[in-house]
Order: sequence, then structure tokens, then C-alpha cells
Amino acid sequence: MKILVTGATGYVGHNLAKTLAEQGNEVQVLVRNLASSNIPQHKNIRVFGGDITDRRSIPAAMIGCEEVYHTAALVKIFSKDPSLFQKVNVEGTKNLLNEALENKVKKFLFTSTCGVIGPSPGLPMSEADPRIVSFDNEYEYTKYLAEKMVKEYAGKGLFTIIVSLSKVYGPGIETHPLSVNSEIKKFVQGRTAFIPKPGTLAANYCYINDVIDGHILSMAKGTAGEKYILGGENISYRDLFKKIRNLSGTKAGIIEVPKIFVQMWALAQWLRFAFTGKEPFVTKKAVRQVFCNKIFSSEKAMRQLGYRLTPIEKGLQQTIQYLKQ
Amino acid sequence: MINSNYCLITGASEGFGKALALECASRKMNLVLVALPGAELHSLAAFINRNYNVDVVALEKDLCIEQDCLDVYTEVAERQLPVNMLINNAGIGSTMLFTEGGISFYQKQIKLNALATTLLTHLFVDMLKKNGPSYILNVGSLCSFFFLAKKQVYGATKSFVYFFSKSLRRELKSEQVYVSVVCPGSMNTNASVIMINKSCNWITRQSFMDPEEVAAISLDGLLKRKEVIIPGKVNQLFLFLNSLLPGFIKRMLTNHQMKTLRSASTVEIKTPSNRQPMMKTQLLSTTLQ
Repeated sequence: MKILVTGATGYVGHNLAKTLAEQGNEVQVLVRNLASSNIPQHKNIRVFGGDITDRRSIPAAMIGCEEVYHTAALVKIFSKDPSLFQKVNVEGTKNLLNEALENKVKKFLFTSTCGVIGPSPGLPMSEADPRIVSFDNEYEYTKYLAEKMVKEYAGKGLFTIIVSLSKVYGPGIETHPLSVNSEIKKFVQGRTAFIPKPGTLAANYCYINDVIDGHILSMAKGTAGEKYILGGENISYRDLFKKIRNLSGTKAGIIEVPKIFVQMWALAQWLRFAFTGKEPFVTKKAVRQVFCNKIFSSEKAMRQLGYRLTPIEKGLQQTIQYLKQ
Repeated sequence: MINSNYCLITGASEGFGKALALECASRKMNLVLVALPGAELHSLAAFINRNYNVDVVALEKDLCIEQDCLDVYTEVAERQLPVNMLINNAGIGSTMLFTEGGISFYQKQIKLNALATTLLTHLFVDMLKKNGPSYILNVGSLCSFFFLAKKQVYGATKSFVYFFSKSLRRELKSEQVYVSVVCPGSMNTNASVIMINKSCNWITRQSFMDPEEVAAISLDGLLKRKEVIIPGKVNQLFLFLNSLLPGFIKRMLTNHQMKTLRSASTVEIKTPSNRQPMMKTQLLSTTLQ
């Protein structure tokens, strides 16, 4: 089958394109930089130069494709130019949806984030749960807008699926500095881990192989117009780092940092940004993001699609092994 | 201790009403949520019940219709839900020149913002007295303090709510029913508002608050039996400055605002007739220019 994958130079898209190619599909990838070292290499992968924000560059890669996996997005906590999030995440998605409708694509899968669903007041959140706090960053907000648009196109007759990922970890290319992988790597190499206090705050971590399988399963078995959480285990920050310590044998410490410290750090970063223009690593609003429970349930995907979770120990073991190489 | 009392919130399915519902639930109050028919109300009710372990009753009503207001009371009374907190939040916001709005829209706005608040308060006041100490929170707006172009009817309904609350407070205090009015400024309650948020100046942006933040302040104020609750330091500052400015400067500002409106250089946002009290940005940006 001929399939288009956007975002193939990203962590998820890269692994997805490779897996689809290995399964014997003709995979077309749309990339901005033809010289990027992150482009997946495989005899079944054809590379097209283009950009989702430029609609004219899309058809060449899309024509003849039965399925589209749209994993491309601007993933960042902060950008000097906030309109960039809108341009890439919302308008880029719209361009693809329009082209998909025009080119009679059979199925369109949009890779989104559990961040759209948001933090939990207690129990793991599922697909239909209402959001309990306002959006506080452009990334999640524009992904929310894009999801809304995908649903609109479902109404126009396009077969759409949305998958929501939590914090993805596991072997694969390194694409951004705040990823779970880079946190694990630094910790394993002996750097102290700073985690939010209380360390019982929990988040959801999904293993990359599960996420890739989940994408393919959703495309094959998902119901049109539906959304599926492709998550992993919910685990507290404290337990997570303790597990990594046990598995890797690192001597690095784990320090629980009170919220106020991080808020002050964010303020310092903001001041530095104001004076030097260097993009902050933490923002005031991002602090709120960290000091809450981000736990999710993948029940729906497990029940309806046969999605399976790799136990976190096994996933971490393989990740540590990969990162040590 | 298990709380057997109930808090009734109107317009509870989205925006500020939803934030109030979540805030009350986190304080272990049982809830009666009233909103227009729709899936959101029921999923919110089920979600709150699961996560906060409180009883939640969802009533689908259109409070612009008198009979629906009566039905709210009848259903609550029939189910014998002891309500000791009434939050009149349902409302329709608008930002438009008077001639741009149709008469049916204004009727609906007045019915919901002013009449439904009066009606529900009247219906529930005896029950509140019986279950005292009880609380009534009416949702006004910072708008009640400024006379703004494009906010004629909306501002008037909110002034009504303000006057009604303060006056009623004096009547009911001895009966252990405490009436408060909250006057929020702009809130990030929906997408378009978030977008305007980006387009206005720094000081106005600072005045924007998240609904969950305003909800927490409102509940704190209500339980402390405050008469008027103004959430946010920046909003309090605006109000303070407003009280200092002499009349002729305010008139100059208003004239300036009208000129800007006539020249159509402001960003025009068509207000959807949704049911959240909201105030668009021009308010304070122009007040303080």
C-alpha cells in the first residue's frame, strides 16, 4: 500500500515510516530539508521535498496514497514567534486535510497529544473527559485547534482518526532536548534528576514501539472520527527515577524541587529572555504543567484496537541499553 | 465529614460555570448543574462524580424560558436535594454597537442575565433560609463599573446583577443567607478570546485570567462572605484608577474610544450567543489608553 508519512524526521514519524516500510508498504515522506540526517533510510521509502505549510508542495507526495499519517508538528515549550505554532500545527494540518479530501485519501490519521486532554484531578483521564484547566501553552492549544479541525473534516466525509500520545520514550532519534529519553540519558550518565515535589506526582509514559504499533492498529481497526489515547503506564516521578536507577546502576541522586523554586527559575529565565532574547527553557505557565498529575487510560485503544502496553521495566531496560550505546 | 448539602450552578457546562463546578467539587460540595441540553453537561457531571466523589445532578434547561426556571426548582424540591448555595452564572455576553444587535437577542440577554437570576433566587430563597448558613453568588462583571461603548445592554444587565446582589444582601443577612457578587474581568474562556489575548497590549493581557483561577477566588470570597469580589490585582488596580480619574478625562477616553470604533480600526469579534459571561478586551485597553 502507498502511504504518506509527514514528520518523518521526527522521533515518532521516523520510527513509524521505517516500520511501515519494513512491512512492505511503499512509504512516501515529506521533508523540509532533503539533507537532514534524520530522514529514514529504506528501499521502500521515497523522499519528497516540501513543507506542510506550503500547500502546493503536498500533492506530489500525496497523490496515489491510500493512507496519510500526519505526525509533523512544531513541538516546543516556547517560541519567540507564537504564530509559528498556528502556522505549522493548525494551518499545516488544514493543508493536509484539504489535499487528502481532494486526492481521495482513504484514511487520515492525526498524531496528537494527551496534553489536549490535560491534567487529572484524580483518576486517569480518558478520551471523552472534560479538560479541567485552561490551556497554557501554544503547543497544546494549537494541537487542540487542529483536533477540532480534523473532526470538522470527518464531517466532510474524510475518514479520520486521532491518536493522543503521552510522554514517549524508547530507542529512536533525538529531536528535542526536553524529551523523556534525554532526561533518562542525563540521569544514567550521573547527572542529578530534579523532579517536582511531591515526588508522588505522576505522569504517563508510552514506549515508542507500542506507539508505532498503536498508530498502525488505529489506522487498520479504528472507527472513523474517533480518538484513541495511545499511552503507557502511569508512574510517579519518584518511582520512575528509582526504577531507572535500579536498572542502570547509576549513582545519580534524585532531588524533589518545590514549586516555588521552579517558579523563581522560570522568572530568571524570562528575565534572561527579555534582555538577551534567549528562549526560556521553563516558563511560568509551564511550571503549572509539571506540578500536576498527567495520568491517562489507554483502555479504549486496548479494548477496541487490541493496543498493548510494554511493561515500563522492560521498556526502560531497552531504552537504557540503547542510550548507553 | 460527608456534606449532604448541594450547590446549584447555572450555565455549568462550559467556561466559568464549568470552572466553578470543578472548584466546588474539589471542596467536596454536591452539585446540581444546570445548562442547555447537550452532551457536555452529562460528561462533565459523570466526570466530577467519578473523580471527586460527590453527588452530581445534571439538569438540562434553557433558563431564558420561565417554565424551565420553575422546573429547576420543582425537580430539586422533588428530589429533596438540600441546596445551600446558589450560583447564578448563566449569562450571554456581547460586544457590539447597539444597532448591530437585534431586538430578540437583547430580549434573550436580559431574560437570562437579569430575569433568570431574579427568578431562581426567588424560587430558592426559602430553601436557602432553611438550610442556612447559605450562600448566593451572582456573577456580575467588571463591566458594571465602566460605561463602555458596545456593552450597553450587557453592561446594564450586569449592573442590575450588581445592584440586586448588594441590596438583597442587606435583606437576607439576618437570615443567614449571604449574598456576594463577583465582578470578573476578561477570562480565557474560549478560543477566540485567547486569540484576542494575543493581539492586545501588555497591561490588558495581564488583566486576563484563567476561569479556574477566578473560580477559586470567587469561592474563597463567597465563603468569607465578602460583598463584592473583584478577582485579580490588575482588575483591582483598574477599578482604583477609575475611581481616581476625574470625569472629564474619562469622557476624553470614551470619545477616543468611539473614534476608534467609528474608524473601524479595532479588531471586530462577532460574539457568538453563547452563555458565558465574558468581556472582550477593548474594555480596559481603551479605558487606560
